[in-house]
Amino acid sequence: MEQLNGLVVENLSKTFYSSEGYFTAVEDVSFTLNDGEFLVILGPGRSGKTVLLNMIVGIEEKTGGRILYNGKEKTGIHPDFGMVFQSLSLMPFKTVMENVELPLKLRGVSKKERRKTAQHYIELVGLNGFEKSYPHELSGGMKQRVGIARAYTANPKVLIMDEPFGQLDAQTRYAMQNEILRIWEAERRTVIFVTNNIEEACYLGDRIILLSDCPAKVKAVYPIDLPRPRNMVAQEFLRIRTTISDNTDLAI
Amino acid sequence: MFSNATKRTTTQKIIYIILPILSLLLIVMAYAFVQRKLPMLLPDAAGLWNRFTKTFTNPIKNVNLIGHILASLRRVMIALAFAWSLGILFGVLIGWNRVFKALFGSIFELFRPIPPIAWIPIIIMWFGIGEFPKILIVFIGSFIPVVINTEDGIRLVEKEYIDVGRVFGANRTQLLMEFVVPTALPAIFAGIRTSVSSAWTVVLAAEMLGADHGVGALVTRGWNAGDMALVFVSIICIGIIGAILAYVLNKLEKVVSPWNN
Repeated sequence: MEQLNGLVVENLSKTFYSSEGYFTAVEDVSFTLNDGEFLVILGPGRSGKTVLLNMIVGIEEKTGGRILYNGKEKTGIHPDFGMVFQSLSLMPFKTVMENVELPLKLRGVSKKERRKTAQHYIELVGLNGFEKSYPHELSGGMKQRVGIARAYTANPKVLIMDEPFGQLDAQTRYAMQNEILRIWEAERRTVIFVTNNIEEACYLGDRIILLSDCPAKVKAVYPIDLPRPRNMVAQEFLRIRTTISDNTDLAI
Repeated sequence: MFSNATKRTTTQKIIYIILPILSLLLIVMAYAFVQRKLPMLLPDAAGLWNRFTKTFTNPIKNVNLIGHILASLRRVMIALAFAWSLGILFGVLIGWNRVFKALFGSIFELFRPIPPIAWIPIIIMWFGIGEFPKILIVFIGSFIPVVINTEDGIRLVEKEYIDVGRVFGANRTQLLMEFVVPTALPAIFAGIRTSVSSAWTVVLAAEMLGADHGVGALVTRGWNAGDMALVFVSIICIGIIGAILAYVLNKLEKVVSPWNN
């Protein structure tokens, strides 16, 4: 039976063609996204995770399979889908406020109203006082918070995060993991979070989809039933982590 | 440690103030040396100064030196106003729209390598030697660098910025105005900077070939009359004005794009 609510990905594939031949980045990936879920997609190195996400969000053409959203085939961009990008991709010429309110500005929301919504999310990510700063004046962690606030301001039902903490140092990364859980618990959006870090995956996810290395295929699915906040050195946590680790392809 | 570090930066500061003065002094000394040895090639300092003051007491064509400078600057400003507005518009269109690029790109490539000065005979034959033909020549010289830089800036905007816009639902116009053009601003500004130095060069060339007023006209007049001092006074003015223009533009860039320093 087909699920009518939410997102269903069926046999999604992507093959790139070039003069040197073809290259499959994503092969036959299928999964269902549950409402309100924090789904982690875990894959080694450059395993085609970003390509998979870009297809789901609609900025990359798929070459096989289909994506169903609320029972209908999804092609292209959909306003219910938001994204936090891998590289920060904030507009350097816009202040924090202008970056965060941008999605609403594009929709023609009045300045007063979009400022109010943007302010809410700026506060939620803990950036009050930095509304007038430019991205180059912020630290890596703060920039990433701006990216998260911007994605939330668009009011997406499904929030897709592409290795958002990949460029942060370890300390900031731990702090941001807790932040993202706090924001997720406050806002309860469905999240697809992509990472190559097993510990991060186990710490954050309700469920982990493990991808194989190039082409990306679903290798295994792990539901994580541990209560939050999770303890990264608890025995149960380490057991799950080891299981996944043993099953992961080594990235070169 | 700390005081040591600050001390070093003050010494460095002083050095960086002294060095340009030193190089200027060297040039002046070299000039004085050559002038002493070969007085028929270069006017001496007193001669230069007298010629300079004479441009005020005894104006050429009823206009003093400042007036000639303003005449040149006026031509440059009018030409730049058109070159910037039309050049940015044209550059954005061929950088953004493939149809437009296909239509006009190759014509532009054909015009691009022609030095602006090469247009002078044609334009004088068509329009004579009034104000309009001079401004037109300066326009041609400054329009081209604006278009080239704008087009490059638009074309080289990173795909991810455009992806951000698309994910958040921007339409084509919004993509262009909110993401692409602002991202390309530093490149556009580079074009503007080149256009100013090009305009300043071209206006002098245009004036040298026939004008009553303008710094370029002074150079030609000095040349024809064997008045070496006038030529040198004019050339020094040209250099100083060019340097001031470059300085103003640098400051302006910091105001226009505060994120870019």
